[in-house]
Amino acid sequence: MMLKRLMLLMAGALTLAPLSPAHADQLQDIKKKGELACGVLGTDEPFSFIQDPASRALVGYDVDLCNAVAKSLGVKLTLKQLAVSARIPELQQGRVDLLAASLTHNKEREALIDFSLSTFITGQKVLVKKQSGITRLDQLAGKKVLTVKGSTMEQNTKKAVPTAVIVSFDNSPQAFLALQQGKGVAYVNDETSLIDDFSKLGPVAKDYEILPHNLSTEHLAMGLKKGEPAFREQVNKVLRDLEASGEAEKLFTRWFGPTTKMKFPSRPFKIETDKVD
Amino acid sequence: MNSFDVSLLLSGQYHDWLVSGFALSIKLALITLVFALPLALLVAVLRLAPLAMLRAVGVVFVEAIRNVPLLAHMLFWYFGAPEVLPEALKLWLYERNFEAASAVIALVLYTAAYMSEDIRSGIRSIPKEQMEASRALGFSFLGAMRLVILPQALRLTVPPLISQTLSLWKNTSIAMVIGVAELMYQAQQVESASFRGFESFAFATGAYLMISLAITGASAWYHHHHPVRSA
Repeated sequence: MMLKRLMLLMAGALTLAPLSPAHADQLQDIKKKGELACGVLGTDEPFSFIQDPASRALVGYDVDLCNAVAKSLGVKLTLKQLAVSARIPELQQGRVDLLAASLTHNKEREALIDFSLSTFITGQKVLVKKQSGITRLDQLAGKKVLTVKGSTMEQNTKKAVPTAVIVSFDNSPQAFLALQQGKGVAYVNDETSLIDDFSKLGPVAKDYEILPHNLSTEHLAMGLKKGEPAFREQVNKVLRDLEASGEAEKLFTRWFGPTTKMKFPSRPFKIETDKVD
Repeated sequence: MNSFDVSLLLSGQYHDWLVSGFALSIKLALITLVFALPLALLVAVLRLAPLAMLRAVGVVFVEAIRNVPLLAHMLFWYFGAPEVLPEALKLWLYERNFEAASAVIALVLYTAAYMSEDIRSGIRSIPKEQMEASRALGFSFLGAMRLVILPQALRLTVPPLISQTLSLWKNTSIAMVIGVAELMYQAQQVESASFRGFESFAFATGAYLMISLAITGASAWYHHHHPVRSA
């Protein structure tokens, strides 16, 4: 009798243990503070950018997602503009609660932070000049391929075409200029950036082409501090609700749809998984 | 914060990236030095030449280069200058490692401009009567320079030239803006691929510091073994 009771107690303690963390939980902290600090890039149309220079307000797909999370918690949203390389440290040091900053979810980053469900799935693609005659990825073998530093593009290009000579630049306008000047045969970036660059070409756009093949699939997700299961579940619930109510579809159409300059005919993904290949 | 992961620096893909960047940085500095020294000497002599035309060429070279940041030189030699070349030559160049080549051009010109000023100061520290005496003995200007002035002047110039070499070594890091995969470029790549910025920049810092201290050491050694003689 005694033993049975003891064992029940121990079993109870074991099942309860993970539910009662020793330290305070971030979700409670945010509610108590009445404020959700969301880190965005602010320079990355249409994910987060300043549309109206007069108001200087940050808008975009990532901003709307932050808004949805703040609304679900009934707290005020504070947006913080971050540099690409500052994203992870700012989150780890607790200066932002949530990252919505065109963050690619990959296995290596999982060691440092947690991720929400994938909020945007895009492919990395290749832009070439039509006169180069390149129509397939394997034709890039041994050729110079241009891309942007600080990205997963390099590794993905190497994986797809191991003999390609990769040259990376500080930003996408420089990489794109190098392509225009013929300093490489192809320019690799994610599809949204390529379409953005493409739209800036004007009449010479007819000389360029985006190859249909995907170099890789990029899962963008929101970033959260490690070990905050309750907050992460809350964020994922918001995302699942957006998908179920059709609100996610509307958000996509608003920022990426046929009437925007991104001109995606339809949404090629759903917010339902955090799987990364 | 995460702990410092030394294993990342000792082996594996990231280690290879960083080491290849380090090797390329050293190569950039050495190749630049080999071209910059003779060019600097030529410019210094030009600036002291008896003909006003030649002196003007020297002044324009030094002032035009020293008053523009190295970053602008890099971008100019990579994105700007080659655009005036004929199409066929351009394509031929671009198929090769034009990134490194334009970085070397920018570094050579920049370093030579500074070094030539140090050499000129060295030459000017030799009393002008020596040049006059040499000319009086029938030496040509170049002959007097080569046999009388420069051997004394270059000895005085070594310490400032070593200090310019130190600047050159640090300046190689700017080549990353034109896609040259040197040490800073690779450190950034490792950071963005792994988010191990602390480790990768610690490697880069250590590598720069090590070579810089070696150069400083060479300067101190030279100073000790070849003290400046009074003329």
